Amino acid sequence: MNRTTLRLILVTVAVIGCVGWLISSGVKATGMQYMTVTELAQLTAPPHQGGFRLDGKVQAGSIAYDQKVPRLHFQMTDGKQAIGVVYNGLMPDAFADGREVVVEGSYHHDDKTLHATKLVTKCPSKYEAEGLGKDKS
Amino acid sequence: MSEIGKLALFLAFLCSCYAVGAFVVGLRSGMAGPLRSGRRAVWAVCGLTLLATILLVRALVARDFTYRYVAEHTSLDLPTMYAFSSLWAGQEGSLLLWLLILSAYGAAFLWCYRKRLDPFYDAVAMVVACVMIFFTSLLSFVSSPFRILATPPPDGNGLNPLLQDPGMMIHPPILYTGYVGFIIPFAFGIAVLVMNRTGTRWIEEVRRWTLFNWMFLGFGILLGARWAYIELGWGGYWGWDPVENASLMPWLVGTAFLHSVMIEQRRGMLKTWNIVLIVLTFELSIFGTFLTRSGVLTSVHSFAESDIGPWFMGFILVSGTIATALILYRKALLESENRMDAVVSREGSFLFNNVLFVALCFATFLGTTFPVLSEAVTGSKISVSAPFFNRVNVPIALVLLMLTGIGPVLSWKRATGAFVKRNFLIPAFVGVLATLVCVPFGLRGVYPIVCVFGAAFVVATVVMEFARGVQARKDVEAPANPAALLHLVQKNKRRYGGYIVHLGVVMIFVGVLGSSVFQKEAHAPLQPGQSMAIGPYALTLDRVEDMQIQNATQTRAHVQVSRNGKRLADMNPSKAMYTKAQQPMTEVALHSTAAEDLYLILGGVNEDGSASIQAYINPLVMFVWAGGVVMVIGTLICMADRMRLKREEKLLA
Repeated sequence: MNRTTLRLILVTVAVIGCVGWLISSGVKATGMQYMTVTELAQLTAPPHQGGFRLDGKVQAGSIAYDQKVPRLHFQMTDGKQAIGVVYNGLMPDAFADGREVVVEGSYHHDDKTLHATKLVTKCPSKYEAEGLGKDKS
Repeated sequence: MSEIGKLALFLAFLCSCYAVGAFVVGLRSGMAGPLRSGRRAVWAVCGLTLLATILLVRALVARDFTYRYVAEHTSLDLPTMYAFSSLWAGQEGSLLLWLLILSAYGAAFLWCYRKRLDPFYDAVAMVVACVMIFFTSLLSFVSSPFRILATPPPDGNGLNPLLQDPGMMIHPPILYTGYVGFIIPFAFGIAVLVMNRTGTRWIEEVRRWTLFNWMFLGFGILLGARWAYIELGWGGYWGWDPVENASLMPWLVGTAFLHSVMIEQRRGMLKTWNIVLIVLTFELSIFGTFLTRSGVLTSVHSFAESDIGPWFMGFILVSGTIATALILYRKALLESENRMDAVVSREGSFLFNNVLFVALCFATFLGTTFPVLSEAVTGSKISVSAPFFNRVNVPIALVLLMLTGIGPVLSWKRATGAFVKRNFLIPAFVGVLATLVCVPFGLRGVYPIVCVFGAAFVVATVVMEFARGVQARKDVEAPANPAALLHLVQKNKRRYGGYIVHLGVVMIFVGVLGSSVFQKEAHAPLQPGQSMAIGPYALTLDRVEDMQIQNATQTRAHVQVSRNGKRLADMNPSKAMYTKAQQPMTEVALHSTAAEDLYLILGGVNEDGSASIQAYINPLVMFVWAGGVVMVIGTLICMADRMRLKREEKLLA
């Protein structure tokens, strides 16, 4: 192995090392723990982790939207427990009672609410097969 | 009619199977008959798929609700032009579009090489036919677009309002043209391994196909970003969403390939690496289709979950394994002809370019699939989103930006210190100057400063390269003028086309920097007559009105905009309530100039009659779109270059 090859390998390894470090530190700093609503609601002590990601449904009748701020309050449920969510921002178009949503943010244990920085509403499955009945055999 | 459609797809399946069989027989025996027959079968698949597509489109436009697919994705009140585009609104139609483009590529390939009787091209067509088997069998046996309903409904479910947009009519076909097209480089790569093909001719052929696909994929990605910007109404155009990442990954690896293939052509090195990149690009485009369709990950685009996920995973596994086995089996063929001479050289810089592009792709892949991976490895499900991608990918992208300036200028084999000094002193100076000019305008932070420096540096190196080229020609020919510049580009299209692509990349960097770091945001509820300020703009609400459009009721705000006291425009941010979907749909109002976009969203009308207006100033967004157009122009110039192929043809003759 000549010197150039050695140098090339060294530089490549250094580059890969840097990228690896970027990725691992990025995960540590920005990673969000997936939780179910029930798991989060049953926490007795304030959590150590920074961010959480929750999947669930918007509880019917729980939406309180102050359009002037704009700030959105709602209860999110997994069918067993419910938890409060606050989101500062415009209500997404597809957001409605019973819709499936994904929220990301930090959990405040004192008022038992998730302060969401990101709110994604899944498209209602209405646009796919719903209520069309069976195929002709 | 649906029976004819089903039959067409089934016959297409049989034809692809027959084509593979005929090619295998022909290649083994060396007889021309089976090969000719195999080629005809590929043409037949193309014709049959076209027939099936026409039948489905006819049903969509006629709103024939006996078809399940038509009932799912259209309705009577849907404008006809969107009935056309609902072809790719659902899974079955998207797969049909995939197959249509795939078979069109197969036919185009055969047409391009119709005069070549070299069995190598039949081996390439055989690989294409293998992939055709996969898609025709999916469409025939798993996910048929021609399913008929027992009781047809009086009206259909309607098309997702988000997809009712002119941009959505061209974005998916263009993106797919890029995605699917990577089948041809992949098929070339596999055929080279199967046939134990030596020589460099195929590399130039693959490069041209890849450029074509790469251009469409890149353009498609930007159209998607543009669509998100206008339709999703959150003020941005890129959110590192899984679906966006899925399209970016093959583009990144494809870009790496387009660079490293130059080293193989010139110096006969990196052969294994190049084959790996080709295979990876294709697998990633299949993986992208899988991601958008399988529902494994949550996405804003969130297509419904479906059952074809395992089929795609299986296909990726099988094709990946075969490709890996072939690469190992043909190790001798891929032996490098040369050694790298120095780190500071064209080859060296291209190698780092490759490492970084693959690293970008890897980080994006890891981030996109992190919930699945972390659950499999540690048992706890962790997800990462935009902050992760920005944190990891932005520094890598900035290093790549610097390499964009350095790489093409460095000489092959070895660049001396004096050479480096002569070529990079002025660009570095220009970079520093540009940074100093931008600081009073609020340029802060390491990354933005590096970005401005890098952009100016790259532009300076490109300008110097052009100047040097014109200078060199001037010595022998006519005096320097714009025509000389044109002549220069014409003489070496690959080289100068590449520089133009790089200028487009710089424009995109500048646009992304401006719109991400310098974005301004304001929100206020306005009564008619009231105004709000954002930057130099004053927004005055005139009135809000409701109006009826074809399949929706629209609430439209009339906002008078003035800039520094001067009347500029009337803008109408709106919300439409689609009758079918019973869901509001934000329609953004946009006032674009080269310097900045004013972006208005109507949040809604409040109980006291005021309208909530959300406003953004997005500086330099126009540069992102314009940069995309410049990249397309540069790529077209690169593709127009036929010199090398001709020269090689002469050598062969």
